[in-house]
Amino acid sequence: MANKSARDTRAERAAVALKEQQRRERRRATLMIGGVVLAMLVIVAGGFLINRARDTSANVSAAPAGSGSYGVTIGSKSAPNSVVIYEDFLCPYCGELEKATHSQLATLADQGKVYVEYRPFNLLQTDYSVAAASAFKVVLDASGPQVAKKFHDLLYADQPAESGPYPDSQWLVDKAVEAGAKESAVKSGIENETQKAWVESATKSATDAGVRGTPTILVNGKVFQDGRTVDELAQNLLSAVQ
Amino acid sequence: MKEWFGLVARLVTGVVWIVAGAVKLPDPASSVQAVRAYQLLPSAIVPTVGQLLPVVEIVVGVTLVLGILTRGAAVVSALMYLAFIVGIGSVWARGLTIDCGCFGGGGYDPNAASQYPWEIARDVALLLLSVYVVVVGRTRLALDNVLFRATPQLKDSEHGEQVSP
Repeated sequence: MANKSARDTRAERAAVALKEQQRRERRRATLMIGGVVLAMLVIVAGGFLINRARDTSANVSAAPAGSGSYGVTIGSKSAPNSVVIYEDFLCPYCGELEKATHSQLATLADQGKVYVEYRPFNLLQTDYSVAAASAFKVVLDASGPQVAKKFHDLLYADQPAESGPYPDSQWLVDKAVEAGAKESAVKSGIENETQKAWVESATKSATDAGVRGTPTILVNGKVFQDGRTVDELAQNLLSAVQ
Repeated sequence: MKEWFGLVARLVTGVVWIVAGAVKLPDPASSVQAVRAYQLLPSAIVPTVGQLLPVVEIVVGVTLVLGILTRGAAVVSALMYLAFIVGIGSVWARGLTIDCGCFGGGGYDPNAASQYPWEIARDVALLLLSVYVVVVGRTRLALDNVLFRATPQLKDSEHGEQVSP
């Protein structure tokens, strides 16, 4: 009897000790997991903050609308809102943005609500991007900003696919004439891409300003990216400058 | 054998994460652009995701390679591969042509559509490897085996000096 109970208590004590040890072990494991997870979170948070500070996508320091030398403006400089749009004549998203905004922005500009500058440059490094932007400048110089803006709109309305085939220079001349340019005033300039150097400096000016893609939109000097799709972006842009 | 295969799965998925994150790290702006190109997330959180993603990829990759909190890291890894599969699938279904930005780059790419099946297949394979690591949990040559081995006292009393997993 006495023997048995002594054995029982010893067994009980051993069980208690084992439980205690298991408890301590679980505690140690929990602390370890917590510590490792905490360390990882600290690393992730730190890395995120560093990365955020290094993200330059919203830092575009471009000349305000109307004061650059590489675009065409619509509206009055005294309008309460100003918009700068960097674009490539071949970029499909620019084409979508133009479809969704060009007439509305023109109306808003006429109403004195917004001052818009379109700045074409050669982002995609294609022959068409260069030819179209050069033709744009030829038309701007020969026929003035209104015809150049119309020419710009016509090019987007009939935009070729990014993968080609690209239209020839006669097509560009026809568009310019359709926009109101005199054929004799623009034909040789468009055909010989006489404003190639201007396109190069427009492109350098855009990349120096920090423009990394097209369309890049600045509203009152700040990069505007509000919208998941180009259509959303266009709608939000229009309501931002109403 | 399972534990050795688990080690291989851990190393493969982990190294892929480290490479994917490290390639994106030098240029957060293009990582943000790549996320934006999916046209999936609200624009307000796109920059945060783009800036966070490379860091998370590297941390998940390092934990997998070292074998720290293996099961948890593998769960995160599997969820992330799943998210990318869904993302690429959704882009494909919507007819967008973008560079997946999986290893840097990203944004519009007119010739992207032919890449989607291969990218999804690759991510499915990596997802399966991650799930395998979740299932086996314990793998060879993992830091977990050092961090979470039985306490010495318990080892002594229960199994003696030599404990092999």
